[in-house]
Amino acid sequence: MKKRVQKRGSVPFRSTGKSDIPLIAATAALVCFGILMVYSAGSYTGKRIYGTEFYYVYKQLVGAVLGGLCLVLMSRIDYHILKKLRYVILGVSIVLLAIVFIPGVGIENYGARRWINLPFFTIQASEVSKFGFIVFSSAYIGGHEDKITTFRGILPVVAVGAVNCILIILEPNMSVTVCMALLMIVMLFLGGAKLKHLLMIILPLIAAAVVLILAEPYRFARLMAFIDPWENPLSEGYQLIQSYYGLGAGGLFGVGLFNSRQKYLFLPFAESDFIFSIIGEELGLLGCLALMSVYIVVIRRALKISLGAPDRFGSLLCSGIAAIIAIQVMVNIAVVTGSIPPTGLPLPFISSGSSGLIVFMASIGVLDSVKRRSHKSVELLFERPIKTKRIKPKKNTAGAAA
Amino acid sequence: MKSSATVMRKRILVAFIALIVVFSALGGRLFYIQIIDGAELRSKAGEQWYRDLPLKAARGKILDANGVVIADSKDVFTLYARPNAVVDKASVAGEIAEALGETYETVFDKLSKSVGEVTVKRKIDADTAYALREKDIAGLYFTLDTQRNYPFGSSMSQIVGFTNIDNIGQSGIESYYDKYLTGVDGYAYTSTDIAGRETDDTATRYVPSIPGCDVTLSIDSNIQAFADSAVHTAAAEFSARAAQMIVMDVKTGGILAMAKSPAFDLNDPPRNDLDLLNELSRNTLVVDMYEPGSTFKIFTTAAAIEAGVVTDNDSFFCAGSRTVDGQRIRCWRSIGHGSQHLAEGVKNSCNCVFMDLALRLGTSRFYDALETFGLGAKTGIDFAGESSGMLMKEENVKTVDLARIGFGQAVAVTPLQLITGVCSIVNGGTLYRPYLVASVDSYDGKNLATRDPIAVRRTVSEATSARMREYLRGVVESGGGSKAGVAGYAIGGKTGTAQKYAGGGGIAQGKYISSFIGFAPADDPKYAVLMIVDEPQGYMYYGSLVAAPYAGDVFEKIFDYANIAPSEDVGVEYTFMPDVIGMTAQEAVAALEKQGLGVELIGDGKIIAQTPIPNARVKVADTVLIRSE
Repeated sequence: MKKRVQKRGSVPFRSTGKSDIPLIAATAALVCFGILMVYSAGSYTGKRIYGTEFYYVYKQLVGAVLGGLCLVLMSRIDYHILKKLRYVILGVSIVLLAIVFIPGVGIENYGARRWINLPFFTIQASEVSKFGFIVFSSAYIGGHEDKITTFRGILPVVAVGAVNCILIILEPNMSVTVCMALLMIVMLFLGGAKLKHLLMIILPLIAAAVVLILAEPYRFARLMAFIDPWENPLSEGYQLIQSYYGLGAGGLFGVGLFNSRQKYLFLPFAESDFIFSIIGEELGLLGCLALMSVYIVVIRRALKISLGAPDRFGSLLCSGIAAIIAIQVMVNIAVVTGSIPPTGLPLPFISSGSSGLIVFMASIGVLDSVKRRSHKSVELLFERPIKTKRIKPKKNTAGAAA
Repeated sequence: MKSSATVMRKRILVAFIALIVVFSALGGRLFYIQIIDGAELRSKAGEQWYRDLPLKAARGKILDANGVVIADSKDVFTLYARPNAVVDKASVAGEIAEALGETYETVFDKLSKSVGEVTVKRKIDADTAYALREKDIAGLYFTLDTQRNYPFGSSMSQIVGFTNIDNIGQSGIESYYDKYLTGVDGYAYTSTDIAGRETDDTATRYVPSIPGCDVTLSIDSNIQAFADSAVHTAAAEFSARAAQMIVMDVKTGGILAMAKSPAFDLNDPPRNDLDLLNELSRNTLVVDMYEPGSTFKIFTTAAAIEAGVVTDNDSFFCAGSRTVDGQRIRCWRSIGHGSQHLAEGVKNSCNCVFMDLALRLGTSRFYDALETFGLGAKTGIDFAGESSGMLMKEENVKTVDLARIGFGQAVAVTPLQLITGVCSIVNGGTLYRPYLVASVDSYDGKNLATRDPIAVRRTVSEATSARMREYLRGVVESGGGSKAGVAGYAIGGKTGTAQKYAGGGGIAQGKYISSFIGFAPADDPKYAVLMIVDEPQGYMYYGSLVAAPYAGDVFEKIFDYANIAPSEDVGVEYTFMPDVIGMTAQEAVAALEKQGLGVELIGDGKIIAQTPIPNARVKVADTVLIRSE
């Protein structure tokens, strides 16, 4: 075993360790399952609207292939490049958010401008911006260990987060804004910001959220709908009721793969934001719990890599990625189960939507890149020491290859 | 101060625990929705997943006493369209319009609606539907429905009744027995998408329908045909407002025929003219009351005999009127009947006789008797909207009213009450509850209910009944009912001619109700016939001339149909109609009675008209009409 002493800000490592097989496997399982479910949930809609039942699954497959390439690419590239390019990445993501508003470039859909029209596919700009923010904040917090405990020190992160949030809320996209805000708080929390400083950020954010909700009547109506969807079963409450129907129809074991009835146009966005309801219908409570367990595996692996990361930047990068996955999964399932007001947010790796899939898969590549550059696994939190010892010898052979 | 790495490690642990907590909460929420609320949500979801097309249950048949179909159902089709599946709306609309005889615009508008499914037309007959289905036009589909079919058309239209477009009984038997006739609809469940389009992978599930019960009437369609013929011919002959007939089984109360003219075709009721429809579909024999006039005298006579206030030998004198409580009440024959025994009084239908009888009985006894005969109360027939008739309040009856009621004025009965009561008087004294439905059977032939005759009470003794039969036989043999006679058969009966009252309570000039009630065979009655002609036009308005002949016709046909042999082989004797024009009323009556003829007289002066003409050949004991200035 080669001994490496890693210094902050030093050049990227030349040699690397082995890929995180459980992480890659769990990710692959999620993506494959996602393709299957997108086919099941979107086949009828695709056939009715686009003439082919493979419409959504084809796009998802393209996204998965591109995402797979990005995953491999990111795992091969030293993640420190991200740190170097942090301003470029942040700049690009913010520009993407901004050009959504340019007519002809941005596509308006469902009353919001969220997509950028490219010749071969569309990009949802906010999907990119979340990772832009993670990269920037990881780099900043990682590089300003001393400042982060001061209120002034956290302000750059807050400022960048605020710019992102404002641009996203203008699309408008409430749900991603909330995600972005949560992400920012989690990043600051993990980075070591003082809790009272966090509160000073959170309280104004809650106030802003209340103002935003009250400012747009449709948001208020949606909020009410979540409390009692049966009050307006054909308008505000409709989608949630349909989601309940899907879940309820599934019961414990589900109605069986491909046997969903809710996908026959009853449940809007069955292949995207509400795909979890179709999963619940076809595979039941057991399927839902199994899927959530796989997410736990992915997040746990990501946090483990974070703890074993060779530097603070890598550690924050990984926990940021873990955080955004966790946040989106929680928010999505909470929406589908009527636990919070409905917002449109895709389920990571599963929901139809290639830009999100590509970015999430690329972020797994980043996790793997950090893992491969960690000189040892961190056993403190999640792993028994004996296991660490057992895989040590293998690292040498793998390391030589890179 | 703790190192930043330690802080971060701790905070990652905190965040991960928070994640596990949230996931557990979401898992709990899922458990609640999927397991605890699951069954309820599943059933609600099921409602939107399936399109349930009702499979209409066949409505039960209505049959006559012999099992002849009076009402059944035929297959018709409903045409539905799914507008978004119809490709070329214009040409399809054209084809449909042509095939169904609709206007192009109507059909095109329906096909252009932005709904999942639209009903294009209901009740399309089978041939048209098959022809249209042959064309196999995308977006159109048919469902089977049924439509009521009445082979007898307008016969029994007020009794059988009709149904609405949804096959729900609206009047008559169809309405009264609707819950038996209506079956239980089945359903075809087809899984569809949100717009009602069938999904490719699911089969349609069927829940079969259960046909309704068959209802068998007491009505015999043959006797009904005789009655129909009688009322329509009578209404036409006398240009009457209406003509009606009931034929009742004297020994059970079963209705054998109930006919009314005008009628309407049950297969095509005038649904667009509600007033007309209501008027035509009124079963006036049950729901309307009228002042019966002389037919009511049967009750007065029976009550008086039963009470023992009169004997055969009692003599009554008629000078053309009686003065009761200072009020002069005229007999129908203004020249009077002279001195008569009871039997003659009945034969002559002399008002004075019945005034005397009523006065002898007194209000209390008379009313008790009338109530025993079922007057003033519903008979309880299985038909909606029955009237109770109208008796004056007993305490309000003054002597003059009592006298009038005695000969059938100041009282109102329904035709059904009249015939039911009379049947009890001639059948030995048992009042039966009249009925229309004899039995109800399930669609697979299982008998569910059979109507046994219901004896309500005794009305008169056997002896009184026998005497009444004798008296009433005399009316047909040589009294006002002679035109109801059938050669060789013993028939009893009584005529009635009542003036109608105008809206204000005064007598409506020239408006009469002519009636005849009879029964046969007279010694052991089986059939009772009540014939009523409402507002016959012209001078022919006497029950003896207007109603009795038709009752006779019906009796004759019934004897033939029921194979009842004549009791005596009598050759018909004929005589000649004398010329009585120019004679006084008294002279003319004397001349005609000498010839053996019954006389109906209008006025009491010099005779100016006679029917039939002089020297016409007439049957002995026939009734003729003479009219004075």
